Amino acid sequence: MTKPHLLLLGEIVHAKAEWEALSDVAILSVCDSSSKEDLIKDLAGKYSDITAVYHMNDSKAAGVIDKDIIDALPPSLKFICHNGAGYDMINVNACTEKGILMSNTPGTVDDATADVNMFLILGALREFNLSMTTLRDGNWNKGVPLSHDPEGKVLGILGMGGIGRAVKRRAEGFGMITQYYNRKPLSDEMAAGAKYVSFDELLATSDVISLNLPLNAHTRHIINKEAFAKMKDGVVIVNTARGAVIDEQELVDALESGKVRCAGLDVFEAEPKIHPGLIANEKVILLPHVGTRTYETQKKMEIQVIENVRSAITEAKLLTIVPEHVHLV
Amino acid sequence: MTKPRVLLLGEILHAKAEWVALSDVATLSVCDSSTKEEFIKDLAGKYSDVTAVYHCHMDDAKPGANINKELLEALPTSLKFICHHGAGYDMIDVNACTRKGVLVSNTPGAVDGATADVNMFLILGALREFNLAMTNLRKGDWNVGVPLSHDPEGKVLGILGMGGIGRALKRRAKGFGMITQYHNRKPLSEEMAAGAKYVSFDELLATSDVISMNLPLNAHTRHIINKEAIAKMKDGVIIVNTARGPVIDEQALVDALESGKVRCAGLDVFEAEPKIHPGLIANEKVILLPHVGTATYETRKKMEITVINNIRSAITGAKLLNVVPEQIHFAP
Repeated sequence: MTKPHLLLLGEIVHAKAEWEALSDVAILSVCDSSSKEDLIKDLAGKYSDITAVYHMNDSKAAGVIDKDIIDALPPSLKFICHNGAGYDMINVNACTEKGILMSNTPGTVDDATADVNMFLILGALREFNLSMTTLRDGNWNKGVPLSHDPEGKVLGILGMGGIGRAVKRRAEGFGMITQYYNRKPLSDEMAAGAKYVSFDELLATSDVISLNLPLNAHTRHIINKEAFAKMKDGVVIVNTARGAVIDEQELVDALESGKVRCAGLDVFEAEPKIHPGLIANEKVILLPHVGTRTYETQKKMEIQVIENVRSAITEAKLLTIVPEHVHLV
Repeated sequence: MTKPRVLLLGEILHAKAEWVALSDVATLSVCDSSTKEEFIKDLAGKYSDVTAVYHCHMDDAKPGANINKELLEALPTSLKFICHHGAGYDMIDVNACTRKGVLVSNTPGAVDGATADVNMFLILGALREFNLAMTNLRKGDWNVGVPLSHDPEGKVLGILGMGGIGRALKRRAKGFGMITQYHNRKPLSEEMAAGAKYVSFDELLATSDVISMNLPLNAHTRHIINKEAIAKMKDGVIIVNTARGPVIDEQALVDALESGKVRCAGLDVFEAEPKIHPGLIANEKVILLPHVGTATYETRKKMEITVINNIRSAITGAKLLNVVPEQIHFAP
């Protein structure tokens, strides 16, 4: 019996040996389709017997897995194993309808993303960006006002998954008090002392609000004009999740009015395009979606996808199935 | 009997009420001498009965900025206490003060949280090499030329100087999964070390992935990080400094960054600040802040209150609350 056929959509950079080792259980193909149209053709041709896909969102032909591609997937395709915690670029509902199960990479992304998150919380609370740019312009400390300590401030975490909990562990060392809003309250053990509050109470009582939730139809623009109006004056906002959870125009307006004192962002609504109002604001601290960009974490993520693929091929089950598909198995 | 006179050298910005409240035990004067020469005259004139000084960290040019031998000779004999606003007091010649019977206090403790916050920000910024990413983004080059970097998790943080700030830093670094070791004048009790391993200076240099400077500047520590020290470090080490610029030989650091021996650095202080070695400015990877260690409303107020409390204790009890380490055995 021939081994199942596995298709790589993207590139393996760090775990090449672990990828090659999959050849004991699968035939490995690296997608060379040059465009989405090309891929759709190939899915009816040389890739028409694939069982599983290793997916990266920098794949040339299939960075975004939309309904067109899903419709073109062969009936043999049962598993899409995605490299990334966020998978909003894959049409999950279309997968569900077709009986395709998806996995992502929770856990492995937590620490690196939380590190960026805490850097941005500090950078925004302490308003370091202006200091850094005036220094390099030759204007030591020019026009740089005093800022505020994190100690004793209330950190409101929106989305208390692995990354949110990792942020809390870091924030504690700085004397911050953590509260959170989540789809469901966590057990006492997992909450580790963080207080569960309603969404509105989080908005109204947090000094710093950190976005750590996935992007989907419910969470798009969850931080909008109405939400800003409920926040404390001078609130600090940090986002390492997905740009589109915040209405970027409203954020710019709130920064201009001073309602939001400062912001720290690693993600943007239309990245790599950034709202010019953010670029014009010298106080905000901005990073270009570097959440997991370390050698150690990138390798851990690749290995996690490879392990999901191996489990899918050998046991027909995923190790880290996405929440939307849990009820399907 | 007239109240003792307290002289303010500098400015009180946040604890004005607490300063004014000192007038129940002292006569308060704010130094208005406009030059160093005028100040020396005033010390023999209107300030000749001063008992205690509230001393701020000021620009070198300001009268009283540097408490050196020359200035000490001009101080009135009534002057017994210099209460400094700041943890670092290298601008005060403590030995000369001791010889003159003048006791000095600083503001340890009050500075710890804010300085450690800056320190941890710089450790992350240097380990993750964020500076290039941030500057390229603002130039319109999203992620251009930004390589992968490294996680703090599992890396060894070597703290040079395990005082209040060093220990506050360890508490923060723990949340990021870093393993802390330290070198200090003397090993700490197990309780204070809180799990950090005491190592010799050479072992700290040789085995740390990140080296953080958290020690005071004095004759022993000037250029403690020099060419020889850097040669003993791991290849690709990260260096962070929130202490005083001159504990590092800035030229040697620039050379080591250029060779790659030091992968990246995070600095809040510089040898000749506000002048910065051009080799640091030219390096887009390093993350640089303009000595903002304690620049928050909350911390500056805490520091001012610490100084005021030292002054009150000096005036009413003839003792300081935070006498500097060098003078502990002289203090009553």
